[in-house]
Amino acid sequence: MLTGLSAFFGLFLIYPVAWVLRGAFVVDGNWTLEFLGMACRSPLVLGAIRNSFLLGLVVTTLATLLALPLAHLFTRYEFPGKSLLNALLLVPLILPPFVGAIGMRQFFGRFGSVNLLLGTDVDWLGHGGFWGVAILQTLNLYPILFLNVSAAMANVDPTLREAAENLGASSCRVFRTVTLPLILPGYFAGAILVFIWAFTDLGTPLMFGLTRVVSVQIFDRVSDVATNPMGYVLVCIVLFLTLALFLVSKRLVAAQRYEMLARGHTAGEKRLCGWRAAVAVAGVGVVAVALLPHVSVVIQSLADRWFFTVLPEEISLDHYKEVFTHPLTLSSIRNSLFYSALSAGLDLVLGVMIAYLLTRRRIFGGALLDALAMLPLALPGLVLAFGYVGGFNWNIAWLNPRDNPTVLLVVAYAVRRLPYIVRAAYAGFQQTSITLEEASLNLGASAWRTLRKITIPLVMANLVAGTVLTFSYAMLEVSDSLILAMREKFFPITKAIYSLVGRVEPNAPSVASALGVLGMLLLAASLFGASKVLGKRLGQLFRAG
Amino acid sequence: MNVTVQHLTKRFGKTTVVNNVSLEIADGELFFLLGPSGSGKTTLLRLLAGFYQPDEGEIRFGDRLMNNVAPNRRNTGMVFQNYALWPHLSVFENVAYGLDVRGIRGAERIRRVEEALAIVQMRGYAQRSPAELSGGQQQRIALARALVIRPDVLLLDEPLSNLDAKLRSEMREEIRRIHRETKLTTLYVTHDQQEALALADRIAVMRDGIIEQVGSPLQLYRNPRGDFVREFLGAAHLIEADVVAVLDEQRVRIRTPLGEMECAASAQPGDRVTCAIRPNDVIALRG
Repeated sequence: MLTGLSAFFGLFLIYPVAWVLRGAFVVDGNWTLEFLGMACRSPLVLGAIRNSFLLGLVVTTLATLLALPLAHLFTRYEFPGKSLLNALLLVPLILPPFVGAIGMRQFFGRFGSVNLLLGTDVDWLGHGGFWGVAILQTLNLYPILFLNVSAAMANVDPTLREAAENLGASSCRVFRTVTLPLILPGYFAGAILVFIWAFTDLGTPLMFGLTRVVSVQIFDRVSDVATNPMGYVLVCIVLFLTLALFLVSKRLVAAQRYEMLARGHTAGEKRLCGWRAAVAVAGVGVVAVALLPHVSVVIQSLADRWFFTVLPEEISLDHYKEVFTHPLTLSSIRNSLFYSALSAGLDLVLGVMIAYLLTRRRIFGGALLDALAMLPLALPGLVLAFGYVGGFNWNIAWLNPRDNPTVLLVVAYAVRRLPYIVRAAYAGFQQTSITLEEASLNLGASAWRTLRKITIPLVMANLVAGTVLTFSYAMLEVSDSLILAMREKFFPITKAIYSLVGRVEPNAPSVASALGVLGMLLLAASLFGASKVLGKRLGQLFRAG
Repeated sequence: MNVTVQHLTKRFGKTTVVNNVSLEIADGELFFLLGPSGSGKTTLLRLLAGFYQPDEGEIRFGDRLMNNVAPNRRNTGMVFQNYALWPHLSVFENVAYGLDVRGIRGAERIRRVEEALAIVQMRGYAQRSPAELSGGQQQRIALARALVIRPDVLLLDEPLSNLDAKLRSEMREEIRRIHRETKLTTLYVTHDQQEALALADRIAVMRDGIIEQVGSPLQLYRNPRGDFVREFLGAAHLIEADVVAVLDEQRVRIRTPLGEMECAASAQPGDRVTCAIRPNDVIALRG
C-alpha cells in the first residue's frame, strides 16, 4: 500500500514539481541563476509580481475587514435568522469567482446596470480590471477567513475572557488583550490561505483582462513551455512563495493547538441589543452583497436581450436548453462528469488508504505522508498543471495533455482535492475508537471482515461527504482545466465557459452563465448534503494546516 | 483452559512496559492484575489478547503456544474499558457478532444470544441501540458479547472503572455470580484494591512492568512482600471468625472475638473465615 502511494506521489506530485525546478534552474545539466536574473530584470515579470502581491494584500485586507466582525458576531451572539445566514455565508465558496465575473461585468461595466441606474458613467472595473478582480476574489474568499477565525474564536476558553472581565476590563479591552492574541494564529493561517488563493487565481484576472499578474503570465507561457524558461521561473517563484507561507501557517496552527490545551466549557451566547444589533444588520448586508455575483450570473443566464438596460428586457430559459444542445457545452458537461467521477473515485481510494495508515498504523514516514497529502492545499493548481504540461511531454498519447488530457486532468483534480477527503476520512477514523475494531478482532473476525462490517460502516458518512465534495469541486476546477485541456473535445465545463465568453456570438455569455448556474446548483446541493452529514466539521475542510 | 506466561517482555521504544513476567493462571480461576496506572497491567492483558506481540517470552493457552497467533484466532472474550459497543449495530447484533464470525446461524444463534443476555440480565433489550443504554447496561452488554462465544479466556480491562460507586458494587457481585456460573478462566485488570480483594481467587500486584507478588487476597494481607504491596493494599487487622448465618446473596453474619457482626462475603454457616478490618473503617466515638 505504501509503495503504491509513494509511486503515485512520486510521479504526480514530486516529479512535475522537480521538472519545474529543473526548467527554471538547470541549463545543460548545470545549475544556474541566469533565468532568475533575467526575470528580475524584466519589467513585465516584475510588474506582474508586484500586481499579484498587491492583489493578494488587498484581497486579504478586504476579507479581514469582512470576516473579523462577522466571526465575532456569529460566535458570540444569538440573533434571529442566524442559521440561515450561516448557510448563506458559505455560498460564495461554491462559485469560481471567474464565473461570477461574467455577471459582474454586466452589472458594473461601463454600460452596466449600476451606471444606468445611477445615471453615472463610472468605470467601476477600471484600472485594467484590478479592483474588479480584487472585489470578486474578496467576496469569494472571505468565507474561508471567516471559518478559520470563528473556529479560533470558538476555541477560546470563555473563562479566559470572564477572568479579564472579572478584573474590570471592558469588552473592547477583553477583545484586544485576550481574544485577539489567542485567535491570531488561526487568523494568520486563514489569511495566508486567502493570500495564496488570491495570488494564484487564474480565472478571474483572465475574465477581467488583467494580464499583468503572475498567474496569467504563467498561463500565457504554457504554449511555449518547451522553449521559454520564463514560465518555469514564474512558477518557481509562486512555488517558493506558497510553500514558505504554507510552512508558516502550519507553524501557526501548531502553536494554536498548544495554546488551546486548557479548554473549558463554552459559555452561552448573548442576545443582541443596541449598537451590536446595528453591526448585525451590517453583517447581513455584507452577506447579501457577497451574493451579488451569483445573482448576476443567474440573471445573465436568463437574459434574452440585455443591452443598455438595468435589467434584461426579456427573460427566458432558452439558454439552459442551449446548454444541452450546443455541442461544446454538451460535451463539456459529459467530460466534466466523467473526469470528476473518476477523480472522486481515485480520491476516495487514496484518502481512505492515507487516513487509515495515518490513524491505524504507526508507519515509518507517517509525518511525510501527512505532509504530502496536505501539500496540495498550498500547491496552486497553476504550479501542478504547468509541471504536468512540461513534465509529461512524452510520446505516450494518454499521458500527454496535448493528445489526451483525460488521465492528467483526473489525476490533477484528485491531487488538488486530496486534502479534503483525507481530512474527512481522517476525522472519521479518529472518531471511531480503535477498540471497536479490536473488539471485532477479539471475537474472531478477520481484518477484512472488521474493515467491512465495523470500520467502513462507521466512517461511511464522512467518506460520502468527502467524496461528494471532491466530486463537485472537480466539476468547477479552474486552473487545471484551463491549462491542461487543450483540445475542444476534451474541454471540461470551466474551460467551455471560458471559451464561450471569449466568443463573439451575442448569446455566448448567457449560455456560459447558464452552464455556470448549473455547476453552481450541483456544488450547492453537494455542499448542503455534505454539511448535513459532517455538521460543524464541514468548516474544518476549509481550515489551514 | 489454563494460561501460562513465561518471561514475557514488551517494550515500547525504550521503555520496558512489561518486564520478564511469568504467571500461571489455573483453569477456571478468577485472576487479578492489580497495580497503579502505568504499571503495565493493561499491556499484559493486551499481550494475552494478541493486540501486542511480545518482544520476549511465551504465552500458552493450555499447551498451545499463542505468541504468533492473530487476535482473531485466540478465542478470548474481552471486555474493554470503554465497552467498545458498535454504535451502528443493535444490542442483539453486537452480541451475535462473534457467533456470525463463527458461522453459527438460525435458531442456535438466537438461542445463544438470548442465553447470554439472560446471564447479564438484559433480556428485552435486544432491539435497543447501544446509545440508548446507561453505562451499567452497556457494561452488561459488553460482557454478554464476550461470553456468548464461550471464550477460552475471559479478559476484563478495568471493566468497572467507568461506573459510579453504587453500580460498581452491584456489577462486582454480578461478575462474581457470572464467574461462578460459567467457570471461565478470567483475567481481570484493575487498579482498585477493593475490587481485587473482594473478587479475586488470586491477585498479581504489578509495578513498573514487574510482578511484585502473587497470592490470594489473604496471603497478600498476611505476608506482603515489600513496602509497595503493603501500602498499595492498605493496612488491615486480620481476625478469625465463624460464619453463623447467611443473610442474603452477599451478606453473612459472623462471630468474632470482638463480638458478632455482619460482613460482605459469600460463605456457608459453619465456615471458618478470616476477616480484614481496615484502620480507617474503625471510628473512635467519644465516651
